[in-house]
Amino acid sequence: MRFIRFLARELLIHGVLFTVAGTAILSLLYLLSIGAPPESFARTGQSFLLLLSGSRDFSIDHPGFSAGQIIASGAAVTLPLALASLLLLTVVALFASAFATTARYLAGKHGQFGAEALKRSTGLLASVLAAVPLFVGFWVLANGFGSQAPFLLIAISTILLGGLAWDATRFLMSDMLRQVESTHATVFTTLGRPLGGLFPLPGTFSGYLFSSSLPRFIPYLAGKVPAIIGAVTIGEIVFSFPGLGSTLLEALLATNTDLLVASVFILLCVNAVVAFIVKSFLFLIYPRWYEKAL
Amino acid sequence: MKKLYRIARALVLLALLSPLGLAWLPPDRLPLRLEPAFQAVLQSSFRQLSITLAATLALAALLTVVLGYASVLWQRFGRTGASILKAVESVPAILVALFCYAPVSGYLARHSSGASQTVSLLVFILAATLTLLPEAVRGVAIPLGDLYHRKYSLSFRSYGFTKRRILAVLMGSHVMRGTLKRIAAGILLKTLVLDCSFGFIIQLGFGSYGTPAHASPGALIAANRDALFEGGTPALFWLPSLLLVAISTSFLLTLGEREEAAA
Repeated sequence: MRFIRFLARELLIHGVLFTVAGTAILSLLYLLSIGAPPESFARTGQSFLLLLSGSRDFSIDHPGFSAGQIIASGAAVTLPLALASLLLLTVVALFASAFATTARYLAGKHGQFGAEALKRSTGLLASVLAAVPLFVGFWVLANGFGSQAPFLLIAISTILLGGLAWDATRFLMSDMLRQVESTHATVFTTLGRPLGGLFPLPGTFSGYLFSSSLPRFIPYLAGKVPAIIGAVTIGEIVFSFPGLGSTLLEALLATNTDLLVASVFILLCVNAVVAFIVKSFLFLIYPRWYEKAL
Repeated sequence: MKKLYRIARALVLLALLSPLGLAWLPPDRLPLRLEPAFQAVLQSSFRQLSITLAATLALAALLTVVLGYASVLWQRFGRTGASILKAVESVPAILVALFCYAPVSGYLARHSSGASQTVSLLVFILAATLTLLPEAVRGVAIPLGDLYHRKYSLSFRSYGFTKRRILAVLMGSHVMRGTLKRIAAGILLKTLVLDCSFGFIIQLGFGSYGTPAHASPGALIAANRDALFEGGTPALFWLPSLLLVAISTSFLLTLGEREEAAA
């Protein structure tokens, strides 16, 4: 029953309904504000329905972009970049938080301040990196690699510059640091387990703290998906990748309403797919936390 | 020692934020001598940025306080508002800004510079506020709700204070003042990022016709992006970028320290 409720809520309401309604509302606002004639509303609505049905007749007025092509551009570029960025973001946050909690423990309990000093200087460096505007980093990369820049490098820039990794690390780190001095954490340290200074592996001190923070960290990640998609869109435009970002800008340039609506719809679909994957993790690992978060 | 550290820190933050203030000085009083045309555009873009930041902060902070307070006061309003804001939050911010800008681009191109600048600023402020509100309102409503359900709020209730009055008192508490400061820093940082990314993208996509009214440093960087190519003057690209890095660093340091103190 819980699983069906999860699917109904996340797949139907947050997935399908939000995506379709979001696209419809944005399109309606767009058409209203450009003062489009009434027949444009009907034509755009019809086009949207054709897109939803995957018809080859989509956007007859503006040939060159079929529904399949737009979906393929999202699937080939935007989705993998977003997923790679999300994965990297998680790894960086885990690594930094494990190191920070271990450093705090060593400084507090054993008077070893070396790791704490390293943590502070790395934190300052991370702040400066986060302060570098994403588009500046992307343009410097594009200057070196052109449109041949490897996806991995783009994903690394996406999370390290512009503050995504900084924010995720700050969230997880402060959550884990709050527990370092707590009684249950102190009791755990008496078991003589390794500290897990580089990664919060199960059975280590940082892993133990992380297991308590995980139910809060997963919803946080789900909330960051739109920011990741936004960053990936900027990347696609800068690197001239044939992804949704470029298609969207092209549509704006040509005031091609059909293409604009289609790009927004697919972009929101990608957003919903990534958010669904993250929420599925929360539901599978902590079903009660998922219910509580509703 | 701690006081000295605080003074030094405040001075560093002030120095990092100084580009926003220096942009308002007459060109001949600036400590740096640049090519006059570039210096004029650089100053104008940072002046525009400071106006955008101040105006967005004023509007977003006002709405945040009102909506946060109302969400706790009327539970049903809070739940409905949270669902709407959650839906808004699921759309990438850059998409919201692009969508808000697209409909008025025709108006901006047709009208005089002054009118066009005002409309562009208004549209951007509305778009930015819309994208900032979900997190900001949550940031106020959650701690305010927590405070209301704590022991001393219960004793307020036993004296017969109304919920409206208790919440008003709690809004002025030390915890809420700290929360509001943190939210303000977050609003400024996000507005800065959105403003510059938006300016860069519009300039990249629409070229010289794209941003006659949105003179953001991001647009200036995009306009000088070719300076990195061979034979160009890299300073034209790097100078506004470094000034942006300095301003963002000051916001990040403010946010970072408060978070660490809370932990």
